[in-house]
Amino acid sequence: MKYILLMSSTATGVQGYHAQSKQDIEAHMAILHRINKDLSESGEFVATQGLTGPQEAKVVRGEKNGLPVTDGIFPESKEFLLGYWIVDVSNAERAYAIAGRISAASMNIPIEVRQFATYEATSR
Amino acid sequence: MKYILMMMGKKSDFDGYAKWSKEDLQANVAFMRAFSKELKETGVFVSTEGLGWPSEAKLIRAGKDGEPVTDGVFPESKEFLAGYWIIDVESPEQAYKIAARASRAPGAGAKAANMPIEVRRVLSSHADLGL
Repeated sequence: MKYILLMSSTATGVQGYHAQSKQDIEAHMAILHRINKDLSESGEFVATQGLTGPQEAKVVRGEKNGLPVTDGIFPESKEFLLGYWIVDVSNAERAYAIAGRISAASMNIPIEVRQFATYEATSR
Repeated sequence: MKYILMMMGKKSDFDGYAKWSKEDLQANVAFMRAFSKELKETGVFVSTEGLGWPSEAKLIRAGKDGEPVTDGVFPESKEFLAGYWIIDVESPEQAYKIAARASRAPGAGAKAANMPIEVRRVLSSHADLGL
């Protein structure tokens, strides 16, 4: 079963993270690398990706003529995706355990866990 | 440059989607398939995934001993990821054009859904964050 573990935060939260010392950020990155390595070794790793900061984010809508309309203004409360892990695990509990480990390594930031849609999951 | 195009929606948007007619759903799925095919043919496709319903979403924090603490209660205003595309394009403008196409996917009553698509550049390395 494939799950995606989503790490999100507000723009303020991201600024707080960046205000940390270089050593603290490096230590955090080292733990995340370790978690990725462990997931690869257990055969549960599918993919991981970090995103660039909220200041570059745009929301796009298509106009009738097909032209993109971009907007870069978001409410203060908006949660931005910072990055994700995709894992292939035998049950939901295992996905939650991995998310717990990432949360513990990352100042207890909550991690949203979502299963990928399958025919069964979407045709409720 | 790799970009992620994210379809986001509130719980109420998903409830609305679940009520679409079968024809509208089929038209939407047909569009999504043709769209993915076109992205592959133009060589910009990296990956795409759809996510399960928000009702199945869980929020996890680590407890004192590192054990996962699960919560499934979210505020009404919470935006849930519905699905995403990752594309590899030459410029942000190209990413916005592709996002606009996704935004025009057919919705209820065969009208263009005009849903907002969040576009974010993905990190090729941690140095991209400029820390």
